[in-house]
Amino acid sequence: MNRALLRVSLACLVMFVLLLLNVNYVQAFDSTSLANEPGNIRVFNEQFQYQRGTIYAGPDTKIAESRLVKGTSTYKRYYPQAAVYAPVTGYDSVYGKTGIELAENNDLSGSSAGLQVHNLISLFTGKQKQGASVYLTISPKAQQAAYTALAAQGKPGAVVALDPTTGAILAMASYPTFNPNDYTTLDGKKLVRIDDRLRAEKSQPLLNRAINATYPPGSTFKIVTGSAAFSTRAVSGPSTTVPAPTRFQLPGSTTVLINNDGESCENGNPPIIDAFLLSCNTAFAKLGIRVGGAALRTYANKFGMNEPDLSVPLPVSPSIIPALTDPDYIALSAIGQFDDAVTPLQEAMFAAAIANGGKLMTPYLVQQVLAADLSPVQQAQPKVLSVPVSSQVASDMQQLMYAVTHNPDGTAYGTASPGVAGVSIAGKTGTAQNGVNNTNLDDAVFTCYAPTSSPKIAVGVIIQGGGYGAAAAAPIAVKVIQAYLGIT
Amino acid sequence: MPAAYAPPAELDARVPMPRGRRATELLMLAFAVAVVLFAYASVGFGLNGKLPSGLPVYGLAFAALMLAAHLAVRWLAPWADPLLLPLAALLNGLGIVMIYRLQQSGRDGNPGNVISTLSASATELQVIWSAVGVAAFVLVLAVIREPRVLQRYTYTLGALGLILLAVPALLPASMSEVNGAKVWIIVGGFSIQPEEFAKLALAVFFAGYLVAKRDVLALAGRRVLGIDLPRGRDLGPVVIAWVASLLILVFETDIGTSALFFGLVVVMIYIATQRTSWLIIGLLLFVAGTYLASVLFGHVGQRVTDWLHPFAGNNATHSAYQLVQGLEGMAYGGVLGTGLGHGQPFWTPLVQSDFIFTAFGEEIGLTGLMALLLIFGLIVQRGLRAAVTVKDPFAKLLAAGLSFVLALQVFVIVGGVTGLIPLTGITTPFLSQGGSSLVASWALIALLMRISDTGRRPAPQPIQDEGMTQVVRAG
Repeated sequence: MNRALLRVSLACLVMFVLLLLNVNYVQAFDSTSLANEPGNIRVFNEQFQYQRGTIYAGPDTKIAESRLVKGTSTYKRYYPQAAVYAPVTGYDSVYGKTGIELAENNDLSGSSAGLQVHNLISLFTGKQKQGASVYLTISPKAQQAAYTALAAQGKPGAVVALDPTTGAILAMASYPTFNPNDYTTLDGKKLVRIDDRLRAEKSQPLLNRAINATYPPGSTFKIVTGSAAFSTRAVSGPSTTVPAPTRFQLPGSTTVLINNDGESCENGNPPIIDAFLLSCNTAFAKLGIRVGGAALRTYANKFGMNEPDLSVPLPVSPSIIPALTDPDYIALSAIGQFDDAVTPLQEAMFAAAIANGGKLMTPYLVQQVLAADLSPVQQAQPKVLSVPVSSQVASDMQQLMYAVTHNPDGTAYGTASPGVAGVSIAGKTGTAQNGVNNTNLDDAVFTCYAPTSSPKIAVGVIIQGGGYGAAAAAPIAVKVIQAYLGIT
Repeated sequence: MPAAYAPPAELDARVPMPRGRRATELLMLAFAVAVVLFAYASVGFGLNGKLPSGLPVYGLAFAALMLAAHLAVRWLAPWADPLLLPLAALLNGLGIVMIYRLQQSGRDGNPGNVISTLSASATELQVIWSAVGVAAFVLVLAVIREPRVLQRYTYTLGALGLILLAVPALLPASMSEVNGAKVWIIVGGFSIQPEEFAKLALAVFFAGYLVAKRDVLALAGRRVLGIDLPRGRDLGPVVIAWVASLLILVFETDIGTSALFFGLVVVMIYIATQRTSWLIIGLLLFVAGTYLASVLFGHVGQRVTDWLHPFAGNNATHSAYQLVQGLEGMAYGGVLGTGLGHGQPFWTPLVQSDFIFTAFGEEIGLTGLMALLLIFGLIVQRGLRAAVTVKDPFAKLLAAGLSFVLALQVFVIVGGVTGLIPLTGITTPFLSQGGSSLVASWALIALLMRISDTGRRPAPQPIQDEGMTQVVRAG
C-alpha cells in the first residue's frame, strides 16, 4: 500500500501548495486592489482609529484637530473656530473630505510617501500611528478680521490676502459659510441629512467663494489694461494723456459707453493717472482697443488668468478673459465687463504682482508639514508664477494705484486713504455690473496692497451685490490690512 | 515486505534501539506553549497596552494541560512521533488566543464592535473544551493500546458513524440548526456537532472494512483506456458512500461535510486497492453530484456564483458578504499583518468559527498564515509517515485515512475562506471556536500517535543464549 500512500502524500502536498499560493495571491498581490474595493469597511474605519494630524493657522493656532471620544478609542475631528476657517480646512467626514483635509490628506492621515519611514519606526517601537501636522500660511489675525468684516456686512462675498513677496496666503474667508463640525458626526444617516440640507440652501454655504466663485472684475481690471498699455508703449508714463470722451460709441455697435454716472473725465484728454484714479471707463475702453484683444489677453494670462491648473493646493477655479476680436467686446473686456470673470484670489494677485515689482509669486497655503515627532516632512519654497510686467511698468502702476487712495479725487480716498486706514494703501476699486442686461445689483470689488513703501500684504475683496467697490469692499480690505499690520 | 533472515555477525551485539524522543517532544512542547503565551500577551498589548488579566490563570492552565498530555504520552505511547503533540498544542493554543482577541473586541473599551455571536466567557469555555480534548486524547491512548483493538468494532463504529451523521437531519430544526447549518444535536443548551466524531468512526469503519475486502475490490473487471475498471458488483460501497454524502448535502445543506466524507471513502478505497480507477470513478461521481446539487439547490449555485464573482452586483453586500469581509481582512493584514489586537476582524460575521483563519490572516499576516498552513501540513505529513512506518494494514489504512481527511478538511475550509474554492462551512481543526471539533481533533491526534507508537516500537529484544532460538524481526 506504500506506493498508493506516496501518491496520497503528493495529493496532500498539492493541496497545501495550492493553499499557500492562494494566500500569497490574496495578501501580497491582490491586497491593494482589495483595499481599494469600494465599501471596504476596514480601510474606511481605519481613519477613526488613530490620531489624524492637526491643521494650524500660523505657528500655533489649531484650526482642526482629532480628539479622542470619551470612553472609546475612536478619534473625532474638531474645528475650534468652525466658520472662520471653514473655506480653508474644509471638512473630514465619514463620506468624504474637502479643503485642506482633502488636499493634504496623505500627510494628515500619515500615509504619504514621506512618512513611510516614520510609520515603520512606530511599528517597531509599538507607538501608535499618528498623522503629520500641517502648518498653514494663514495669519489668524487677518483671517479673523476678514471673516468678521464679511459677516458684519451680511452679503455674500470673499476676501483673499497674500504676502506679495512670497505668495503665502494670509487670509481666505468666504461668507456665508458652514460649520465643519456638522460634518464630523460618525452617524452616516445624520451626516447625509446635514449634507443634503446644506447643499439645498440657496446661499450656497459650501461654496468657497474665495477661490471657486468668479465675478466680473469691473474697473479693477484696468490694472491689467494699464499694464498692457505701459508695457506695449501705447502709453509712455503715468502723466501721458489719453483720450477719454464723455460718451464713447463702441465701434461696430450701437452701445454707447459712459463713465460711471455719465460725467466727463476731466477735459476729455486726461493724464492716464487721472483717468485711473477717477476710473474713467471710456479712457480704458479706448486703450483696450488700442493695445488689442490679443495683447490684453496675454497680459491677463500673465497675471494668472485662464490658468486651469492653479492649486494652492486647493484647486482654484480659473479666472476668465475670453479671446476677442470684435473691438466693441474688447472695449468692454478692457474695463472688466463683458465675459470677464475673476476669483477674489485673482483680485489679490493683481495687486500682489504690482506690489512685488512685477513678479507674481505662486499663491500657496501650506507653509510646512511636520511629522508627529516634529521632524519636517515638507517645507514651502516660494516660487515665481510669472512676471507679468517689468519693474518699470510695475512702478508706473504703483503710482496709479497710489493715486486712487491718496489723491482726494481718487475713488477710494474716502475709505482707504492713509488718514482713514492709518497706513499708506495703494489700490483700485471696481463696481461691476452683472446679471442679464446688468439688472442685478452691482458687485463691489477692491484690490490693494500695503504699506506702499514696502508691501507686506495684498488683499482682494469681492462683495456680491455690494454696490460701490469703494464703499462696500474697500473698508473690509482696510480692516484686514490693519489687523495684519497691527494698526488699531 | 519480505522478512529476510540474516544471522547477526555478533550475536551479543546490541540491536540499535530507536529512541523514544520524548525529551525532544517536551522541548518542542515548551516552545509551543511559549509561543502561545507570547501571542496571548501580545493580544493584550495590542488591544489596550497591558498584559491580559487572565494571563497567569489561562497560561498556567494551558501549560499544565499540555504537560499532562506529554506525561500521558510518556506513559502510554513512549515511542510515538515527537512532533504531533507540540504541533497540536500550538494550534490549540493559538486558537484560544484568537478567540480571546475576538471576544475582547468592543469589550472593556477595546476597539471594534462586540461580536454578537461570541459571549464574554468564550475563552474560558474554549480552555475548558481544550481540557476535555486533552482528556479525550489521554483516554484514546489509554483505551486503545493497540490499533487492532479498533478493528474488532469495525461494523459497530460504522453504524455509529452513520447514525451520528444522520441524527441532525432527522431532528427538528430547533434541535439541530445553528445559523442555517443543520449539523448539530442540541439538548438542553448543550450542543455537539456529531459529524466531527462521525468522521473518526467512519475512518475506522472503512479501514476495517477495506482491509477485509480489498482483495475483492482490487479484482479487475473490464479494461478501458488502459485502466482496469472494477467489477460492477463491487461498486456497492462507493455508491453507498456517494448516496450518503448526497443525502447529507440535501438534508443538512452542508457541502463541506459531504465533500469530506466522499473524499475520505474514495481515497481509502484507492489506498487499499491501489487501483487508480477508483479515484477516477470517485471524482466523476463527485463532479456529477455537485453539479446536480448546484442546479437543484439554490444555495449551492449561489456559493459558486459568490466564489467566482464576489464583488459583482450586490454580492459583496449580500450573499458574499462574509467571504468579502474575510478577503478584505486578509488584504488589510497584508504580508506582515496588523499585529494581534490591531486589526478589525470583528467586521467578518461569525469570524470565530469558519472564518477564524482570515482573522489570523488579518492580524499575523501572510507570514503567520504560511506558518499555520505549514503546521497543518506537518501534522498531515507526520500522520502519513506513521502510515508508512506501521506494518499492520489496518493501522496503515486508518492512519492514511485520518491524515488525508485532516488535509482535506483544512483544504476545504481554508480554500473556501480564502477564495480558492467555493465556500463551504466546516470548522478549522483546532482553531475554530467549538468543543466538538476540538475534542475530535485531539482524538484524531491520539489515534495517529497510537499508530505511530506501534510503528516505531522496537521489536522485542532477541533473548541471548537460547541456542538456535532466534526472534526474527519482520521487515
